Amino acid sequence: MVHSGLRVVTALAAAGALLSACGGTGSPGASASKTIKVGLVTDIGGLNDKSFNHLAYVGLQKAKSDFGVQGDVTESHSGDDYVPNLTNYASKKYDLVIGVGFLMQQAVGTVSGQFPSVHFAIIDGAGTDANGTDLKHSNVESLFFKEQDAGALVGVISGVLEKDGATPKKSHKIGAVGGVSIPPVNHYIAGYKWAAKMEDPSVKVFVGYSNNFTDPAKCAGVASSQISQGADVLFQVAGGCGLGVLQSAGQAHVYSIGVDADQKDADASVIASALKRVDVATYDAIKGVKDGTFQGGALTFSLQNDGVGYQADNLQLPSDVMTAVQDVSAKIKSGALTPPADIPDPTVP
Amino acid sequence: MAASSTAAAGRPAPPLAASLRRAGRAVAVPAGSVVFAFLMGAVIVAVTGGNPFAAYQALICGGFGLLCSGGENAGLQVSNTIVFLTPLIMAGVAVALPFRAGLFNIGAEGQLIVGAIACTTVGIHFAAAPAPVLLPAVLLAGMAAGAAWAGIVGVLKALTGAHEVVTTIMLNYIAQWLLRFLIIGGPLQLHNGFSVSSPIGAGAHLSTLLPHDDKLIVFGLPASVYRVHVGLLIALLAAGTYAFLLWRSSFGYEVRAVGQSQKAARYAGMSVRRTIILTMLISGAFAGLAGAVQIAAVDHNLTDKYFSDTTGFDAIAVALLGLGTATGIVFAAILFGALHGGGAVMQSDAGISGNLVYVLQALILFSIAANFLRTLKLRLPAVGRAAGTPAAEAPAGALAGESATALADDEGLA
Repeated sequence: MVHSGLRVVTALAAAGALLSACGGTGSPGASASKTIKVGLVTDIGGLNDKSFNHLAYVGLQKAKSDFGVQGDVTESHSGDDYVPNLTNYASKKYDLVIGVGFLMQQAVGTVSGQFPSVHFAIIDGAGTDANGTDLKHSNVESLFFKEQDAGALVGVISGVLEKDGATPKKSHKIGAVGGVSIPPVNHYIAGYKWAAKMEDPSVKVFVGYSNNFTDPAKCAGVASSQISQGADVLFQVAGGCGLGVLQSAGQAHVYSIGVDADQKDADASVIASALKRVDVATYDAIKGVKDGTFQGGALTFSLQNDGVGYQADNLQLPSDVMTAVQDVSAKIKSGALTPPADIPDPTVP
Repeated sequence: MAASSTAAAGRPAPPLAASLRRAGRAVAVPAGSVVFAFLMGAVIVAVTGGNPFAAYQALICGGFGLLCSGGENAGLQVSNTIVFLTPLIMAGVAVALPFRAGLFNIGAEGQLIVGAIACTTVGIHFAAAPAPVLLPAVLLAGMAAGAAWAGIVGVLKALTGAHEVVTTIMLNYIAQWLLRFLIIGGPLQLHNGFSVSSPIGAGAHLSTLLPHDDKLIVFGLPASVYRVHVGLLIALLAAGTYAFLLWRSSFGYEVRAVGQSQKAARYAGMSVRRTIILTMLISGAFAGLAGAVQIAAVDHNLTDKYFSDTTGFDAIAVALLGLGTATGIVFAAILFGALHGGGAVMQSDAGISGNLVYVLQALILFSIAANFLRTLKLRLPAVGRAAGTPAAEAPAGALAGESATALADDEGLA
């Protein structure tokens, strides 16, 4: 009863949106005559991961209220669930099925081949075969992010603070703690290191990996080691594991930088967060299906289309920092500066 | 003895009715636990503002393809449930067999993982080998690895008395970390940046029952979406083998004797140590087979999903709910497979979190362990009598239900 009630409400909302759209502009409403159905499948992180699954859900909710689409969510509880959950939505002829995360690449590759008339989108990955090779199905949209743009902006913050001697230890040493050495993680760190060295050429950047994305204790260990070597700004790029970095920084009274979502509430030491707008990407993918502009292949979200960004958090950043961030941001947008995707020469600090 | 006293009491019960009554008595505890769990689950859904009827309707749809309201394909739901329940049968047997010998195998998960690792390793290194050689080889490799892993526990138990609960739990961790090492930066890693192994050779693939064809349409969907595989038959064969071993072989007799009293078994001239080691070896082979079949039939490579896989732990619940009998394990696996499949549909159709499924599983286990039905009988003797239960009842204990069935089965054989 409850859920059929919800359906009615959704349908009414959709009808309302349609009527107002037609009344307002007389825009092409023919393709919107049926409710667009969107199915979102999370990875094992679940909806409350405070990171990309959550952000994808936020994007879906926004699309529901803006476009009146029907949006349903299924959380995956184990890797065994990816294929059945994607297949279930596809078999019910949903217009768009979204898989959240790199871990679902192979499942999206398999199911998109079975349902060529259903649109698929995948965050941080492509539809691949068992060898990790992109199958390039025309019904799959890969939503990638230029993490290096976001990494560069928080790198500018670290670099200028170090140059000004405004960090807790004035050590000209900063650190980055990655989860596993995989492309999305290294993009962030590459941009961070590049920008920090650009602002403060004397800065030394420690890069370490915890080989883990979920256990804060592992990341806290790497962070402590960097702090003991003198680092006084630590950038975490390790999901739930990275919360250990933020806490270690707090205990040692040094600064830290969050990742993906705004993490200022995780610890008082968080001075800024590098943002990856998975919500924007999800919203845009749904909009593409609604407008009929969906196209297979890679769609990259960068600073230029507000797909990544930064957020200043628990520290009032000095004005010269803000000026430098805005300057670099404008240059990246205009193409005058291009942060590297790969960590520049990891052997030379 | 109990049966004969009932018969002597007056109306001689026909054999069919007697065996039906015996069966009814045997399933009373597990069936009662399931009913209890679903009632409590309904209360939880209702209290948190959901509609229990909609939730269970979606759960039944996702589990069995019945009563679907959201346009689900019945065949697809049944197929998914079967894929989920297949490893549960084999792992359930791996837990149930040691139960019979009085051993608590918490390590089915670790044994399953090393089985999967061995299967994948062989499948990668001999990828070019033809299927008639490679397929049996990968399955046997999985069984051997699982047997070795559990054999460590059996040998330690037999020689030093190390408690199998502790050693199996520790070996689970070792298996999981071994897997992490192998596929993150280790020798089986696909290539840098992936936490999965390379795929096994095509010859090692265990085929699906329907052809793996995206173009062939069956029940309105491409045939390749139905993932039911030959592993189901292997699992049923494993359950049959277990029943045969337990009730028709001298080994099974020794297992049951050791399980009921090690001293009595020793006085009867049996080697308790030999029985314990053999039991663990065979149990591990079943769990290893579950892992190997999962790789050969479903995954085709090791993935990070095995870091958080729970099949071996769910198998403990399956073995308990199935009262340690082959038939019981199959039915319990069907229930757990259906719950697994149904959870996702419940979330997408009824808007109830799929986590309710885990609450239901926990409630089922809890009420089996607490044995409410027996408490009810003790408190209200009239209820028990009405069902025609003779005075002689199962001995108390955590596995009271299991012993009761064992008793009933013994009578059946006598």
